[in-house]
Amino acid sequence: MGEEPLYLEPRLEEPLRSLLESPGLLHTLTNALGSPLNVLLPDRIAANVERFRSVYRAHHLSGQVWFAHKASGSRALLRRLAATDAGVDVASLTELQHALGAGFTPDRIVATGPKNPPFLWLAARTSVTVAVDSRAELEHLVSLVRGHALSRARILLRLSGFESTGVRVLSRRSRFGSPVANVGPLLDEVERYGDAVELVGVAYHLDTTGLDEKAVALEGCLRVLEECRGRGLRPAAVDVGGGFGVSYVDEREQWERYTTALTDAVLGTRPPLTWGGHGYGLRNEGGTLRGTLGLYPAHRPVAGAGYLDELLSRPAASFGGRPLAALLLEHLYDLHAEPGRALVDQCGVTVAKVLEVRADDAGAQLLVRLAAKADDVALEDHGVLVDPVVVPRDPAGGRAGDGPVAVHLAGSLCLETDLITRRTVFLPRRPEPGDLLAFANTAGYCMDFRATRAQQQPAARKVAAWQEGGSWQWCLDDEYWPTVPVGGTQ
Amino acid sequence: MAMVSGRRVLADRTRGGNAVRYDSITEAIGNTPLVRIDPAVHGLEHIDLYAKLELFNPFGSVKDRAAWNMARPHLAAAVEHGSTVVELSSGNTAKALAVLAGMHGLRFKSVTNRMRVPEIKDLLLLLGAEIEELPGQSECLDPAATDDPLTLFHRTLSEPGGDYLHTDQYFNPHNVEAHLTGTGPEIVKDLDGRAPDWFVAGVGTAGSSTGIARALRETDPAVRVLGLVAAKSDFIPGIRTIDEVHEVGLFDPGTYDAIEAVSADEAIEGMLTLNRRCGILAGPTGGAAYQGAVRRLGALDAELTERQSAVFVVCDRVESYIGYVRERRPDLFGRPPRRNSPADLSDAEVRAAPAIGVADAQAWIATGRPLVVDLRSTFAYAALHIDGSVNIVDEVFEELLRGGLPFSRSRPVLLACPVGEKSARYAALLTRMGHPEVRSLTGGIVAWRDAGAPLVRD
Ligand SMILES: Cc1ncc(COP(=O)(O)O)c(C=O)c1O
Ligand SMILES: Cc1ncc(COP(=O)(O)O)c(C=O)c1O
Repeated sequence: MGEEPLYLEPRLEEPLRSLLESPGLLHTLTNALGSPLNVLLPDRIAANVERFRSVYRAHHLSGQVWFAHKASGSRALLRRLAATDAGVDVASLTELQHALGAGFTPDRIVATGPKNPPFLWLAARTSVTVAVDSRAELEHLVSLVRGHALSRARILLRLSGFESTGVRVLSRRSRFGSPVANVGPLLDEVERYGDAVELVGVAYHLDTTGLDEKAVALEGCLRVLEECRGRGLRPAAVDVGGGFGVSYVDEREQWERYTTALTDAVLGTRPPLTWGGHGYGLRNEGGTLRGTLGLYPAHRPVAGAGYLDELLSRPAASFGGRPLAALLLEHLYDLHAEPGRALVDQCGVTVAKVLEVRADDAGAQLLVRLAAKADDVALEDHGVLVDPVVVPRDPAGGRAGDGPVAVHLAGSLCLETDLITRRTVFLPRRPEPGDLLAFANTAGYCMDFRATRAQQQPAARKVAAWQEGGSWQWCLDDEYWPTVPVGGTQ
Repeated sequence: MAMVSGRRVLADRTRGGNAVRYDSITEAIGNTPLVRIDPAVHGLEHIDLYAKLELFNPFGSVKDRAAWNMARPHLAAAVEHGSTVVELSSGNTAKALAVLAGMHGLRFKSVTNRMRVPEIKDLLLLLGAEIEELPGQSECLDPAATDDPLTLFHRTLSEPGGDYLHTDQYFNPHNVEAHLTGTGPEIVKDLDGRAPDWFVAGVGTAGSSTGIARALRETDPAVRVLGLVAAKSDFIPGIRTIDEVHEVGLFDPGTYDAIEAVSADEAIEGMLTLNRRCGILAGPTGGAAYQGAVRRLGALDAELTERQSAVFVVCDRVESYIGYVRERRPDLFGRPPRRNSPADLSDAEVRAAPAIGVADAQAWIATGRPLVVDLRSTFAYAALHIDGSVNIVDEVFEELLRGGLPFSRSRPVLLACPVGEKSARYAALLTRMGHPEVRSLTGGIVAWRDAGAPLVRD
């Protein structure tokens, strides 16, 4: 290989790191259960909850951490979470049923997103908190409560369209939530429907990595809560939604070197780094770089609980520059957060078997065909670029010509577009048929969110794995309960 | 230099030259001094190093020239249509355009990815600019989406009904021209008709470096040009990083003999040298240019046998970057310790602070009539508080105590904060200052509420 390899090595923390250092187990599992295979690490989700909790404690805030269920359909993760003190945010009827069945009591469930009638009915019937998405949904909920003689529903009002003072902080338009500019009439209704609903707080969720936008929204929520109190309502909480992010690539330098090289490749000053010269949103117009890099910032210095901490530490201009956390505390509000991706950080891996390795026509790069479809490993679909880890079939077997290789990773469909990634991936050594490629950190959105059964290929099986007395144990995802591990509460 | 009704106005300050009386502030743009840096400071033995002091421009920076040159041809039409001037800028170009727009009765809107220097943001608002910050990247990314913020920005510009004067500094040849006909020839003139051997500048829009380099090469094609950018993960306000520079339409790699990266630390170090030792109140990019020049030239100096000269550009002044520098170099702002500060209490003192639980506090308020001081923000206090309490926000309280005890010793005091942590500190401090009867409300207002004790709103 003529050029310096451009690695994007994954950030691996325990217990994911140990799992990837157990090739015997991973090969046994894929031999038995097929490729691709998703392995979940339920104990890690509990550790992640604790990280969020410690940020709450540092700011003396109370309130709930709700796991945004949509990020992962794993039963093991949800059941393990049920054994902690966290809550769950459900966005569909099935997710609500799953949460109830996993052991979450209604006080630990919040229903978010736009809701269809059965979802809204089951939420009201079981007295879970409902984050009301629109005025129409509020009216619908009220009619369900009155019509079915249900008990008063606890509601959060999801708001959107927050405006800042001074500098205008622009946000992408959201299809969800009620515009904060019209909150007056909405609160009139809440007061009018006092027999059917009880306002417990307000909520937002912004799909952005921008802290400034979220700070503007949180500050806006505080102002709305004051208006509620002024009306004699007794709201107690702000729900700041999700979007805390995950850092996938371990080293900043690798990410920076890679993106610089990608820029150079698009400008033609170095050989292409992608299949067919794809630019991930960048293009070359007469020597000037145009477009925007459509990639998730794969290395993030601040993500997850640390990101929440930064948000809470931001000053609120309309409240005399006090930090947001201090304002929440002083106003006696609870803080709710709905991390999805961030709460399943390091909680899973997708492994796929190498079927074939061959030189491409030019002979410079290798084509590696995997027993998995692109939608089974949806990292690229979410704009996440990160290297797989090679798990050799024969760890002891040294071989000739060891050294870095540049490869393209193809899926198992007979479709030109079925590429696991359009990126040229650099691996520390040539993989061989029978080896596994392990795609780390896929539990959030990249396992089951987009997986299909195209060409009647089966969807990946899921297993849960944990360590007990120094060795790995596993069971099917469906079979996992917090009582299964010997160390668990039996 | 400015051309005013066909008459050349030279503000040749350094040589005590021509007219310095103007009819408009815009005539004061350009003709900035070229100042030699004392060799005892830079230590180069064979090279004369000069600073082109663009900080002398009336709105404060090198961008005054570009802003004026880009806007001037379109101002009359803009006034006629009542257009809004818009630019993608988070700094000096915005500042200059805000002033120019204001002088012509036009609105100015600055759109930016991140307005990261708070002093500049506030100054722009003060000058009447509107600032719009573009949204951050989507967290749940759809790689096929085409609605990236910059595309949206350009779409708004072309929307029907919108009337904009978009100066487009990253692509506008008038940006380069301002320096090709102004800054560059001024340097040659001040060097007695010769171009320097080296020219060093930070690269933002590349306008100044491209224009100056071209002018210098017209005099002497052998001029070597060093462009400086920020290291990739670093931030030096006003110049781009090594990747971002490729997004600039005016940027042509052929302009530069070398492009080198400077770290924020180096930029600040260079800035301090200029500020403290040369009397040049340069901002960080001036410091970056100085540091980059000395780093590069220092490597060559020993091998030189003949004298050479080098010019670097000082783009703007230090004052707007105090916050930026404080964040990176808090050591420069070390303040003397203060009297009566809660920060210098020992943990033991805080633990021993007199405290009282909610139930006892309620009884005490009824019988002992202590002054109840609520240390939370005015907003939280206004929303809900203990009946009869006084609100003194913690920051104000801290200031107050520096001068001594603000209460009579005969008046008992109950301090309340959100969870009883701050109030314990202040109770310990007041005790240390000699107050005989001060208590902290254990668990704070949160505990008070949780106990069901009454909170009121006035
Ligand atoms: C209402 C709501 N909350 C939370 C989340 C979770 O976001 P993330 O996985 O980025 O934390 C989402 C994601 O779409 C959402 O819509
Ligand atoms: C402080 C500062 N330094 C340097 C520059 C770079 O100048 P140019 O845009 O001409 O490359 C700028 C431009 O914005 C600036 O604001």
